[in-house]
Amino acid sequence: MPVALLRVDERLIHGQVVVGWGGHIHPDQIVVVDDALAESPWEQELYVLGLPPGLEADFVSVEDARAQFERWRDDPRRYIVLLRDVGSLRKLAECGTLRGAEVNLGGVHHAAGRRHVLPYVFLSEGEWRELEEVADSGAEVSARDVPGAPRVPLGDMKKP
Amino acid sequence: MKRISGRIRLALFLRSFAVQGSWNYQTLIGTGFAYVLIPVLRVLYDGDREAMRSALRRHVEVFNSHPYLATLAVGAVARLECEGAQEALIRRFKNALRGSLGSLGDQLVWAAWRPMSALLAIVVLLFGAPWWAGLIVFLVVYNALHLGLRSWGLQTGLREGIDIGNALRSPAISRWAHWASNTGALLAGLASVLAVSVFATGPTESGITALGILAGVALGYRVRSGIWVLLALVWIGGIVARMVV
Repeated sequence: MPVALLRVDERLIHGQVVVGWGGHIHPDQIVVVDDALAESPWEQELYVLGLPPGLEADFVSVEDARAQFERWRDDPRRYIVLLRDVGSLRKLAECGTLRGAEVNLGGVHHAAGRRHVLPYVFLSEGEWRELEEVADSGAEVSARDVPGAPRVPLGDMKKP
Repeated sequence: MKRISGRIRLALFLRSFAVQGSWNYQTLIGTGFAYVLIPVLRVLYDGDREAMRSALRRHVEVFNSHPYLATLAVGAVARLECEGAQEALIRRFKNALRGSLGSLGDQLVWAAWRPMSALLAIVVLLFGAPWWAGLIVFLVVYNALHLGLRSWGLQTGLREGIDIGNALRSPAISRWAHWASNTGALLAGLASVLAVSVFATGPTESGITALGILAGVALGYRVRSGIWVLLALVWIGGIVARMVV
């Protein structure tokens, strides 16, 4: 399984991903999928500061990610693919890109319009609908902040 | 650009100790961050209640960082605010920085420096020092880095502003983490040998214990994983103890 983790986490590259999930799945490559970041070298520089030595991160737009997703899946190298928000995830899932893929919700924090779903997941009604669309496209959506925590499937979450 | 006086720097430094004071799942240390920044905002928005209120509202948003390295973000954001940077830029800057500050701090402090300081205190106790000496050793060594990081972070953030990446990319932080975890492994070896050496009374046994300590020192620097060193040395120590009994 070459896309070892496909995760929605606002913080993108941070301790839980690098130390928590990284120590669990030993990735060869991190890919950040975000339209704004793909075009912003100064922000990319700040994001990669927390990476341990030897691990690199690529920043690609959603459209590029959709084109390359198939290749990542077939690549023998292990990928962690990170998205900042549910909106990008829905765009990535267009055309059935994520059919059969597992989607992990890791950290979507409080903001205006979002309501508490899990301690580390706050969603607006719009985002909830987008998640349902992603699930309908054939992806398996669940939440889990760190590898040792219980997995909460979308069906078991309380609608915001 | 407005200057940030020494008095305000001191206020930021002191307030930084409370940065986790209102930790919560909604904003993480966001409210703490805003609290630390208040002295700077007061200078910038002196007398303008509405502007002050909206600045505070912007800064109580979600933020996260290792608590000691939060001063880097505070310093850099203070500089950006003083330069009159746009809200959107500051928001993007904080977002980009928070993950890195968390992960760097975890690697350096929680995973390396704290265990090393604790092991050093244990070794001091095993050498027969009174309990309060071990306590003092731990507090002094641990807090030397802790306070140093807070103060360095604030100065560096204020100096570099948005170019903070240059300071953080320097290999010094990872070198420190590497050095601290090596030293921790060494101390783990030393501690386990000392723990069993209480059984060694005669000259031969003491000689073997001394060899064990030397082996601990050598292995500690060679093997990065403290656990292997620990196992190897408990094993040597066991032999020593059996020879005595």
